[in-house]
Amino acid sequence: MINKYLKYSLFVLMTFVIIAGIAFPIVDQPKEWYEFPMIPGLEEKAKIIFFHVPTAWLSVLAFLMAMIYGIKYLRKQDLNDDSKSEAAIQLGMIFCILATVTGSIWAKFTWGSFWHWDPRETSIFVLLLIYGSLIALRSAIENEEKRARLSAVYSIIAFLTVPFFIFIMPRIMAGLHPGSANDDTSGPVVDFKMNANMQMIFYLSMAAFTILYYWIWKIGYKSLIIRAELNNKN
Amino acid sequence: MEGFYSFLEKNSIYIVLFIVLVIWTGIFLFVNSTDKRLKGIENELKGQK
Repeated sequence: MINKYLKYSLFVLMTFVIIAGIAFPIVDQPKEWYEFPMIPGLEEKAKIIFFHVPTAWLSVLAFLMAMIYGIKYLRKQDLNDDSKSEAAIQLGMIFCILATVTGSIWAKFTWGSFWHWDPRETSIFVLLLIYGSLIALRSAIENEEKRARLSAVYSIIAFLTVPFFIFIMPRIMAGLHPGSANDDTSGPVVDFKMNANMQMIFYLSMAAFTILYYWIWKIGYKSLIIRAELNNKN
Repeated sequence: MEGFYSFLEKNSIYIVLFIVLVIWTGIFLFVNSTDKRLKGIENELKGQK
């Protein structure tokens, strides 16, 4: 589904990101290339950035792709576009759940419990409900053209809420999450509190996760297309 | 051997690292084998057409 070299580069890249993200130490005054700076409020727990932020980014990317292929389906009525949209919705949900779980584990060690109904937590919960309903809607309709049409319209409307729930609401409301309205900074990612090496590992992590997403998405939609072809034959 | 155990006791992050690497290798191998199987099915279907 993807180039052989890209596949093996992904393995090496992700392995490096895992080793660097977990084992590289966080110190007050970094002197060596492998040392990361202490970010106030995050300390040792800042390592979550390498895994939590890419999963949240991929859920946004997946929901965006679901909308794009939804629009494509409405324009051309090609069921392959619906399969691409469906694969993106499924992966978006998986990455959204991963972002929620990693964030929740981080919250336990930073704020004291797994869930606080912080604006960021509430917004991702609402997003999970919105896209969970879309999956439920898809499974409730048997006619594939009707399912594709309704799903396309739903994914377009659902994506309109994504920028609000991910980028706007958690930043205009006071909360515990870094980058909230009562936080002096915009959060470690937006404010670039990381040093150059930490930023490099962060961007490598984003790249590795994105390649992994693209690979799984391709496998996902091709298997859906094959399943539809086989169903039509029988 | 005792030195190794006491090193791991003080640096449990390396146990976490090992577990995460094993999980990542498992995910990679699973996705890769699914990819290969799917290619096989695709080729089979193309051959039938």
